[in-house]
Amino acid sequence: MIEFINVTKKYDHDVCAMDNVNLKINKGEFAFLVGPSGSGKSTFLKLMIKEEEPTSGKILIDGKDITKIKKKDVPFLRRKIGFVFQDFRLLYDRTVEENIIFALRIIEASEREIKAQLKAVLQMVGLTGKEKYYPNQLSGGEQQRVALARALATKPPILIADEPTGNLDPKTAEEIFKTLLEINARGTTILVVTHAKDIVNELSKRVIALDHGKVVKDDAKGVY
Amino acid sequence: MTTNSYLIKEGYDNLNKHGSKTISTMLIICATMLILGIFIIILQNVNSNVETLRLEQGLQAFIDDNATDEDIAYMEDEIKLIEGVSEIEYMDKNEAYEDAKNQFKNQEYFLDGLEQLDIFPASFIVKFTNIEEAERIKADTEKIDGIYKVKYNADTIDAVISISKIANGFLLGVGIVLLVVSIFIISNTIKLAVYSNKREIFIMRYIGATNGFIVKPFIVEGAIMGIVSALISFIIISIVYVYIYVSLNTSYALGVFKFIPYSTIWYQILLAYIVLGLFIGIFGSAISLKKYLKV
Ligand SMILES: Nc1ncnc2c1ncn2[C@@H]1O[C@H](COP(=O)(O)OP(=O)(O)OP(=O)(O)O)[C@@H](O)[C@H]1O
Ligand SMILES: [Mg+2]
Repeated sequence: MIEFINVTKKYDHDVCAMDNVNLKINKGEFAFLVGPSGSGKSTFLKLMIKEEEPTSGKILIDGKDITKIKKKDVPFLRRKIGFVFQDFRLLYDRTVEENIIFALRIIEASEREIKAQLKAVLQMVGLTGKEKYYPNQLSGGEQQRVALARALATKPPILIADEPTGNLDPKTAEEIFKTLLEINARGTTILVVTHAKDIVNELSKRVIALDHGKVVKDDAKGVY
Repeated sequence: MTTNSYLIKEGYDNLNKHGSKTISTMLIICATMLILGIFIIILQNVNSNVETLRLEQGLQAFIDDNATDEDIAYMEDEIKLIEGVSEIEYMDKNEAYEDAKNQFKNQEYFLDGLEQLDIFPASFIVKFTNIEEAERIKADTEKIDGIYKVKYNADTIDAVISISKIANGFLLGVGIVLLVVSIFIISNTIKLAVYSNKREIFIMRYIGATNGFIVKPFIVEGAIMGIVSALISFIIISIVYVYIYVSLNTSYALGVFKFIPYSTIWYQILLAYIVLGLFIGIFGSAISLKKYLKV
């Protein structure tokens, strides 16, 4: 589903954020991406959605080399990958429901799909009943759930999250991860960047560790 | 709601978000349109008056001084044979002098002593039925032996034409400057809208919005401003024109000059305004989108 082949990424001049990385994440997997600050975790995610271009190497998403796709096809790549941010990135002048519909409009969903998907994702993240709330009326954990629902609304086969619980307390974080596991159980491939050591250790999923742009560890049932 | 109607609604919402900016933008567009509307109106009125004057007054064909009566009779026959000529009238030197006196009414002293100088040539007044044929009839008449010059028999025409040329040149110049200003201002308004929606656009790109989807609401915003300005300008200019038409056409303030009825030009103005409004709106926003969204 996701494959990096000899991927190197150098930002202007010498910063080597990705150093000849070879990595494969299969369909339906759940993987953590860990490592110290500046090790290249965010860069890895950005390369997947073509927000950054690799200096060399190939990146396959769903079997397709995305380094070769045209600029106008980038939106369609991104529709395959739901993205969740540490800071939620919600629209604060729109309700929960409107935030989710916002995503569905973008993929030009029909009215029927919009209605059905809205209901489905609200249920998936446990926000049924909060449709009319504005983000500011919700807790941090709930806001992240809205972001999660928005990312899932377009039915992406892959979900990536960059420190999704970085702004949340441990208990709320744990609940978010539980939801992520449920989403994974329904077939979505998930890659999560996190510093939440305890949770990583507890869940015993695949753990990929980066350091200075290199994969230094990759264990199937790993620890942080 | 279809995707398109959703995008139109987004564009409309943008307009509301920047109310005062929207209004001042539309004011400039309206000013541009009113100036250009006056340009069209003057052009059409002058053209129409020139045509009717030409048709009413006909051509004047001047006869060589040494032409004999026989020559003159021959010329008259030749002119009558030209296709499209409806009427011909001979004016001898005395009549020409009287005619000149008429034209200088109250200032006849200009002409004192000129009668003896024999400077007013005899001529034919040639009338025709179709203004479209005027130029051909004029050329055909010029070819006849003994005719040394043919002109439209209305001095007022020349005056009207030269005044209108100056007025129109000026209006067109101002109009073009305002057009450029309008495009600049609308692109500036769109730039503002792009900036205030930056966060939204950023998120849209992550979700997988195509450029077309991101851009459409702004294009719609520009187009709405253009169209609404067009309609407002059209209403203003229609009211003003009809008012002028009613109050001036019935008086003799303008002499022979007659305003053409609004029914014969309103659709030209409306069409010009809508095309212009769409052009200003879409072109203006496209400039901004190209620059600030890098689409
Ligand atoms: N746009 C950029 N321009 C230049 N250098 C960059 C850019 N983005 C990241 N870098 C550099 O690339 C390296 C990897 O950055 P990256 O953001 O991928 O790290 P990270 O593992 O996500 O760190 P953190 O845990 O702090 O988020 C760092 O040295 C960073 O300074
Ligand atoms: Mg990071």
